[in-house]
Amino acid sequence: MSNAGADLIREIAEGNAEAFARFYDRYAPLVYPLVRRILTDPAEAAECLEQIFWEAREAAPAYDPARGTPEAWLVGLARLLAIEAMRAARRRRNGSALRDGGSPVNGDATAALDRSVLARAFERLPDPQREALELAYYGGLTQTEITARLKQPLGTVKTRLRLALDRLRAMVRPA
Amino acid sequence: MSESHEPYDTLAALHAVGALDGEDLRDFEAHLASGCARCATLVRQTEQALARAAMAGPPEPPPAGVRESLVRRAARAAPAGRRRWLPWAIGLAATAVAAGALSAAYVAARYEARLGQMARETTAAKEQLARGEAALREELDSYRAALELLRDPATRVVELRGQAAAPEALGRLLWTDGTGGLLLAAKLPPVPPGKAYAVWTMAGDGPRSAGIFVPDAGGRATVKIAAQATGAPVRVLSVTLEPESGVPAPTGAVVLAPR
Repeated sequence: MSNAGADLIREIAEGNAEAFARFYDRYAPLVYPLVRRILTDPAEAAECLEQIFWEAREAAPAYDPARGTPEAWLVGLARLLAIEAMRAARRRRNGSALRDGGSPVNGDATAALDRSVLARAFERLPDPQREALELAYYGGLTQTEITARLKQPLGTVKTRLRLALDRLRAMVRPA
Repeated sequence: MSESHEPYDTLAALHAVGALDGEDLRDFEAHLASGCARCATLVRQTEQALARAAMAGPPEPPPAGVRESLVRRAARAAPAGRRRWLPWAIGLAATAVAAGALSAAYVAARYEARLGQMARETTAAKEQLARGEAALREELDSYRAALELLRDPATRVVELRGQAAAPEALGRLLWTDGTGGLLLAAKLPPVPPGKAYAVWTMAGDGPRSAGIFVPDAGGRATVKIAAQATGAPVRVLSVTLEPESGVPAPTGAVVLAPR
């Protein structure tokens, strides 16, 4: 899978339009649930999905297989752009910055965990670890912001995240 | 691993999920930049685990219209990553300003790939300019050398003719005994791989190598030739095709020789 993905990215970098369409067909259905998890508004999610694949096309020449799988590369890009779009949308809606109180995370990010695309891996995490990871991964919050949000010491938040990610790595280790 | 590395294991995991900030972020980025392979691997493995988990859920059909819009844009646009970098850099600067609410690390991560690409393009452009400048200087030097020779009343002009191996080839030697000269050649056939043209001077005691050269794509060449160490008058000059590593005496086909 990874090799085929890397080949497609290389072909996109060479200007192959057909490879770009195949790349989209292959990965858009896998990436879209993550985008929807971060951006609940369907129109915003659609716009973001288009931006993700356009940015992937632009960044294709710089993709370095030694630094990660195509999946990790694309998901990393998707998450960053979706969180950026979420923050921009929130600023548009209520003019409040992330740290100005209220819910720092998209309303659905801490609720409805059963819809989580990570649910299978996440549900085996202890609740406090899962909560911290959700806030970081979907909410785009940093350790300091999570500390404020959960009213826990920084050391506790770091430990929870570290344990959650260690477990996650062990769980989804490549077959 | 070592106890002292333990805190970095935590920072590496948190970095992979984008949760580091403040001093921790600066510390870890400096540590990573120092070349810690363990941390680089940990970050990569954690990112991959997150990606696998994120893609493990049931696929969802993307909204209609996105694919068509992308295909249309791609058909109109320049090939991926080939845009001119200057307008792009201006766009990037504007984006960076607009992104004031985002942390520097976030923006850096977001644009890392494209920044790397821009840096490579800039370097390539600079190298190309440097190569062009060097070629121009070389050309100017050879014109100057030719002019100096032509000003000297002692300079002889020897016409050279293409031989059987290259009947179309043309050559002219500007030569002053004691000073040296310049070989101007044109219509030389391209050299096969591993070969080069060798210049030979004859000055009484047999042929002496006076340098090797490869003509440009148009079959032209300007070759500076040093005077005989003894200052002895050069009677004959010829050009042969030889191995590019050079040979002590001519072995290959003669390409240019006096009429």
